[in-house]
Amino acid sequence: MISALMALAVMLTRAQEVKVPLRFDFYYSYEKMAEAMKALNAAYPDFTKLDEVGRSEEGRIIWALTINNPKTGEPFTKPGVYVDGNIHGNEIQAGEVCLYLANRLLTNYGKITEITEVVDRNVFYIIPVVNVDGRAHFFADANTPSSNRGLRIPVDDDRDGLFDEDGPDDLDGDGNITNMRIRDTLGRLRSDPTDKRLMITVKPGEKGEWTRLGQEGIDNDGDGQVNEDGEGYVDGNRNWGMNWNPPYVQSGAGNYPFEGKGIKAIAEWMLARPNIILVFAFHNNGGMYLRGPTSKAAGELPQGDVAVYDYLGEHMEKIVPGYQYLISWKDLYSTYGDFTDFTDKMVGSYSLVGELYQPETETYDGTPKRGEEERSRSGDASAGERQRLLFDDNVNQGELFKEWKPYKHPLYGDIEIGGWTKMSSRLPHPFMLQDLVHRNASSVIFAAKQTPKITMDVFEVKKAGGDLWSVRVRLVNSGAIPSVTFETIKNKLYPIDKLTVAGRNANVVGGGVLTNAWMNLVSYKEYRPEVHMCQVPGLGKVEYQFLVSGKGDIEIKYESRKAGIISKIVELK
Amino acid sequence: MNLMKLHATGGMMLLVALLLMAPAPVSATEKYSDPAAVNRHIEQLRMANPSLVKVHKLAVTPGGREMLMIEIGKSGTAVPAVLTGANFSGLTPLATEAALALASRIVSDASLNSGLTWYIIPVGNPDAYARYFTRPLWSDPANSRPFNDDTDDQTDEDGYNDLDGNGIITLMRVKAHDGTWIPVESEPRLMRKADAAKGEKGIYKLYTEGIDDDGDGQYNEDVPGGTNVNVNFPHLFKNFGRRSGLYPGSEPESEALLRFAFSHPEIAMVLAFGQTNYLLSPPKGGKKGAVDTENIRIPREIGSSLGIDVSRTYTLAEVIELVQPMLPQGMTADESMIASFLGLGAVVNPMPDDMTFYNEMSSDYKEYLKKKGITAERFDPAQPEDGSFELWAYYQLGLPVFTMDFWGLPKPKDEKKEAGDDELKSDTVKGDQKTDDAVKANPGKVDTVKADTKKGDPKEMAQLAFSDKWLNGRGFTPWKSYSHPTLGEVEIGGFTPFSDNTPPESMIDSLLDLQLPYISELVKKLPRLTIAELKATEKGGGVYQLEAWVANEGYLSFPIAMGKRNKVPAPAILTLEGDGIEILSGKKRTPVSDVGGMKSVKYIWLVRGPKKETMTLTLESKQAGKDIERINIGG
Repeated sequence: MISALMALAVMLTRAQEVKVPLRFDFYYSYEKMAEAMKALNAAYPDFTKLDEVGRSEEGRIIWALTINNPKTGEPFTKPGVYVDGNIHGNEIQAGEVCLYLANRLLTNYGKITEITEVVDRNVFYIIPVVNVDGRAHFFADANTPSSNRGLRIPVDDDRDGLFDEDGPDDLDGDGNITNMRIRDTLGRLRSDPTDKRLMITVKPGEKGEWTRLGQEGIDNDGDGQVNEDGEGYVDGNRNWGMNWNPPYVQSGAGNYPFEGKGIKAIAEWMLARPNIILVFAFHNNGGMYLRGPTSKAAGELPQGDVAVYDYLGEHMEKIVPGYQYLISWKDLYSTYGDFTDFTDKMVGSYSLVGELYQPETETYDGTPKRGEEERSRSGDASAGERQRLLFDDNVNQGELFKEWKPYKHPLYGDIEIGGWTKMSSRLPHPFMLQDLVHRNASSVIFAAKQTPKITMDVFEVKKAGGDLWSVRVRLVNSGAIPSVTFETIKNKLYPIDKLTVAGRNANVVGGGVLTNAWMNLVSYKEYRPEVHMCQVPGLGKVEYQFLVSGKGDIEIKYESRKAGIISKIVELK
Repeated sequence: MNLMKLHATGGMMLLVALLLMAPAPVSATEKYSDPAAVNRHIEQLRMANPSLVKVHKLAVTPGGREMLMIEIGKSGTAVPAVLTGANFSGLTPLATEAALALASRIVSDASLNSGLTWYIIPVGNPDAYARYFTRPLWSDPANSRPFNDDTDDQTDEDGYNDLDGNGIITLMRVKAHDGTWIPVESEPRLMRKADAAKGEKGIYKLYTEGIDDDGDGQYNEDVPGGTNVNVNFPHLFKNFGRRSGLYPGSEPESEALLRFAFSHPEIAMVLAFGQTNYLLSPPKGGKKGAVDTENIRIPREIGSSLGIDVSRTYTLAEVIELVQPMLPQGMTADESMIASFLGLGAVVNPMPDDMTFYNEMSSDYKEYLKKKGITAERFDPAQPEDGSFELWAYYQLGLPVFTMDFWGLPKPKDEKKEAGDDELKSDTVKGDQKTDDAVKANPGKVDTVKADTKKGDPKEMAQLAFSDKWLNGRGFTPWKSYSHPTLGEVEIGGFTPFSDNTPPESMIDSLLDLQLPYISELVKKLPRLTIAELKATEKGGGVYQLEAWVANEGYLSFPIAMGKRNKVPAPAILTLEGDGIEILSGKKRTPVSDVGGMKSVKYIWLVRGPKKETMTLTLESKQAGKDIERINIGG
């Protein structure tokens, strides 16, 4: 007995151990997550930088890990790949995906060619936990699978002048907020004959057995309502400054854009990194990769950008079997003040949301449940829910579902408490975590391989008579992602890429896009022919012709916020 | 709808303060206080009244200027407050003077400073305002955030140039084959578009005064400066506008206001001094893009799941009626819930109920001006800009917002003929007396005047008339030829910036003395909640029915309709207390969230208690006051 306990103690300590390479068979608390990031930073001091991005409402630090190989250049000279998770406090596995990605990249650099290349060519900005208060409270407090989602900004939900005074209470002290039910022969529910733990609606003529009393809790403020004013609710993912709408239009919006301290800090941190061209934000429910726009009102993205998303999305949904690549507003619902609307339009990046958890993967006999069954809204137990119980009974030894147990409630008297625990329903059991984090990290790595990869080719330097030279320059992008998003060009968000020609003894008399090299068709620019603002399309090229009078060396320079800097010296001879 | 229409006409005939004082030149740099002087005035006010005045540094602008707020009052956050913001565009010097003058008035008027707290921001856009005091003079509402207007490879590289050296940035006109402008026949100083349909060919191209500093073929396309604070607020924010800022609240000036307002729930009214005047031109509706709450279409999927006929449209009230029976017990359908459920989006037009008070108070204000003997007619004040402070305060704080601009160009006599208007006879402005046949023939239609190609733009005509009459012509630089480095022979001339909205300094005091006293009337309209009556009736068995009437003694409803819709103003709370009392029906804390102006609402509780118990009912609202009543039951 004692030795068994000791073995258990050793096991638990090990589970808490944070050592590189990191383990992914348990969930990291907020503190452990910070420790893990510090451990990666300590193990790879040259390749990583650990930043305090800002602090949350409750003063917790939001950490960011930057991965950059200094030997291949400073961060701003490379495409930036930003990855975050857990903006909703309860969606914790999103943090593990980010952490796994960092661990995967760092521990395999120099071992796996493809990873070495993707690290050498990009800089990765990784914020595993955006809603740090939410994650901390999700671990520390009793919760449902869906609670502690928002920011710690109190809101008076029942408008009684008191803030957050009547949330759920963990009556049975098991660390979960489950459900309450009371025996009631006049109730509308009865036990499901196929599984007594489930309830179904009584049909006319049948006798009722139960009435649902909602989530575990008491009437804390004595106003005759139970759990009517819980924590928040300001949703971190409705508080961004793009297409923001006030709370009476968009629930959880916050009083104004960037009211959330951490949200504001991350926005500023991202805006200070203009090289970010690719963004992933991980959430936890549905098995999807979503692209914007996030509301119909925002209008469809330019077709050039849609093509990029389609290319990425169609590959990524194969990397994670069962995931669907969808359009946020159209296939789900419209949201305002969404993070990826901000990154699409204000950071000028391609942005994807990964909704991680797939309920249909929780199978007992190997038949994937149908998603629609799981999402049944009738309130009755669905085939999906029965399957989930079988899965829990047989694969998890009943770990995730709390059996109904009697409880003496101060208001209702004899009731029963039971249901799915906080670590169920939206989180894979840790034994399934490894697969989830690896596949999703692979999606990020796949997309990161597509960041703009620009080469410059000066393919003609020809004497055109006298001291006049014709110089032809080709910029080629072998990544699928353009050097500037089309949305950025449409909105005039920032000065796009610049191609310049200059020489001490040379004067650019003409310059323009070479629209047809064989026919020698050039659209010459009327003013400042030595400067061209340009975009290099994904898997494509752009060609310029310059007429230069003079001699000696000229420098041809391409400068891009997102795709780095290339310079070539050519001698006019 | 009818009310609004009435309004538009009413506003047009508006009579206003025009000044019976001697003309003065517009060398307005001495009396209007620059941002630094404003801050010195504020500090002096505080030093002179240390027990009444506090000063808060709200923000530091991108140009490094301090944006200060004056707090006046004895009771801080314990009493309702009025937030006054001025000059968020930086283009309205008179608004800043008005805010400073208001602060002085409040300090010396106990009726204003005892029961209210005042938060006053005299300059909402110090960077842009500072430009008014520098030369050359030009008009731009941008703060000093660097911004690359033309998204080329340089920032703020092509501003204006004072080519003629007169200290004023005006216009350049250049004869060009592709010119579209011609001089106005009756007033050749002014320009108008040539009308090809009438066989007219354009002669001139117009540019602002300057050279092509960066050699890109464009003139003055990237002047220094970034964001107009007055379009950087979250209501109807325009994404990627040239002066919008990156996102609503992206500027320290506007962000400070957002944070301040939402951490001060005692703010019950907002005053905005600047470009608009709701007292003369109440807010206008008719904006598109919003869902018409009188004709709501129910989405098919919602309709079919609720059994609602989706082939017809409904009013919001009808939808509430339809949905109410489907809600769980205890849940009440209201406008706000239905609107957000149906995804109706943000409100963009003033709520009809609020137009009632806007129109009534506008009539009252015009009456007030008439009594003061002000009968001159002026141009209609502008409507607010999208993203402005005043729009945000109404739509997102849900508070009554009143705006004032304190002065507008007087209409020259021939512009102000309004059919059947006999209030115009005592006109004090003897501006341009020229009459026009078109106006005579069609006196009610200013639009006709605009369309008449012989005549210039009516507002420009008025501005020119004012300059000639009152500014010794300093409001307009006559066209004069100039040899431009890239455009060749040009002529430079045109209006002096600010001469259309900034009266000579000698008029400041009389304008403000005339109009600021009305603010006392405005704040008298604030809602004031009291417990009008508390009554107990014995029901037997130690059970009592308690009945309380909550009365709103103010003219404005609590909250206004927009506040009901957005639910931002916190409800008043009625708290019922008594030892050993058991509340059988009703709540210990009852939100009071809708009491019309000059109306009362009844609240009922059923309580059981020991004999001879004193019950206390407390009413508390940050915005509308406190009250307390006690009653003995069983006594």
